Amino acid sequence: MNAMNAMNAMKLMKAAAVARITWRQQLAYKTDFLMRSSFLLLILFVFVQLWGAAYQGDTTRVINGYTLKQIIWYLVFTEAITMAVPALCGLIENEVKSGDIAIRLIRPFSYVGYHYSSYLAEAIFRFFIHLAIGSIIAWTFAGPPSFGVGWAGLFALTLGAITIAFLLNMIVALCAFWVEETRGMEFVLHKLQFTVGGMLLPLDLMPEWLQRICAWMPFQAMLYFPARTAVNYGEASLLQQFGIQAAWIVVLAAAVMFMYRRGVAKLHVNGG
Amino acid sequence: MSMAAKGIGTLKFLLTCWKLNLASAMEYRLSFFMLAGMMFINNFMWLFFWSLFFGRFQVVNGWDLSDVMMLWAVGAGGFGWANMLFGNFNRIAPIVSGGQLDVYLSQPKPVLLHVLASRMSLTAVGDFMFGLVIYGWVGDHSLRGALLFTAGLIISGVLIMAVTIIGGCLSFYVGNSEGIANQVFNSFLALSTYPSDIFRGFAKALLFSIIPAGFISYLPIGLMRDFDAIFVLEAVAVTLGFLGIGIFFFHRGLRKYSSGNAIALRG
Repeated sequence: MNAMNAMNAMKLMKAAAVARITWRQQLAYKTDFLMRSSFLLLILFVFVQLWGAAYQGDTTRVINGYTLKQIIWYLVFTEAITMAVPALCGLIENEVKSGDIAIRLIRPFSYVGYHYSSYLAEAIFRFFIHLAIGSIIAWTFAGPPSFGVGWAGLFALTLGAITIAFLLNMIVALCAFWVEETRGMEFVLHKLQFTVGGMLLPLDLMPEWLQRICAWMPFQAMLYFPARTAVNYGEASLLQQFGIQAAWIVVLAAAVMFMYRRGVAKLHVNGG
Repeated sequence: MSMAAKGIGTLKFLLTCWKLNLASAMEYRLSFFMLAGMMFINNFMWLFFWSLFFGRFQVVNGWDLSDVMMLWAVGAGGFGWANMLFGNFNRIAPIVSGGQLDVYLSQPKPVLLHVLASRMSLTAVGDFMFGLVIYGWVGDHSLRGALLFTAGLIISGVLIMAVTIIGGCLSFYVGNSEGIANQVFNSFLALSTYPSDIFRGFAKALLFSIIPAGFISYLPIGLMRDFDAIFVLEAVAVTLGFLGIGIFFFHRGLRKYSSGNAIALRG
């Protein structure tokens, strides 16, 4: 039992070390960060104008359960999560193509586990930065985020959301073992998040037929769940949302492990 | 050499560049069609979002779904032809900061034109085709409508190119400005794909002055739906003005240009 605990502690320490390295890397590229952040400010400003026009500036009007303020903050949350997700596909594709994957495979740390630790550290860091930046716009134009326990719901569901995003991206990235280019598939994945994930429009504002389709896809658990819970806490059971997230994590993790085992078994790296 | 002969020579040179670019793109046919198709789908997904949005709100500040579709037709179409024929317009910053201008400076052709026409963007074909398909779908198919749409394509393409060239020229003055140039390019494109009438006050004033995205995003209304001669004249003047500034900045920047001893060749 003690040996098991010691092994788990060791694994956690390795993951923490990878997370620390990732944070340091993030802090090293400040200009890049500032660029991305200024683009987020611009996009959110455009959305504030667009939704302000749609609501005709009426801050009391409620459309499908959302006031103007709730919509603006909803968009801040979905954008913060979307922009938090690091570009995993290109990274893994390059490792497979260049053969650098060999270096990772000989390390005493699971390949998927290594990428998850690094991904999680970067995603959490980027999520909070983008949330802070997005809040500047939303607070200025829509008012303070007085969502009470909605904040707890947001943070609790965001962890599951970025894990689902990792698994979805990993599935696409692992296709690099079989195909040369994963860019096209990554592109389709992003577009699905963008539409059926509720990134730009809460699912409640979509037509009923589309909402029914979205309910059977993992994308809603990635963006819609945390953002909707933050601005409309109590609209749906938190427990049920956790359950759906957990179910998707299990299914997608199984797919990732299956693909990884099959892929790595047929991998050939020459030279080095 | 007379001006006319010089003009014909330049045109022949451009035609040769475009022919070679196309031949080079066709070497990788699958990649070419995949990238163009991806861009087509990307734009289509945006229209899907707009159809959901207008499904809920119908008319927003005088704009309906068909206006936004025409905005995408004219914006994506304009960007498409500019990026097909002058595909280096958004790569001036890395070319300058990487010292790759040497190869263009050593040849007896107009430097800026040569740089711009030396690349064809594969994804841009998808954008251009998308513009045409959407025009075919919701546009005015009369001769007048077709001419106005063509004029819109020219204005949007030249304006996007001019603003991006100005952003790229910063590299002559502040060193590696690839990040800033990309930011200018992406922000300008983003701003030009939202209805200009959602903006108010100072933001709107900016869009019709120093960030002239409004002259693209108002084209579906001011040029194609309710022809407004004053707006059109302003749009043409601003487009030519920004193009002039871009050309001026580039040639002034050339005086400050320096490169290392890297030997650049064009394949």
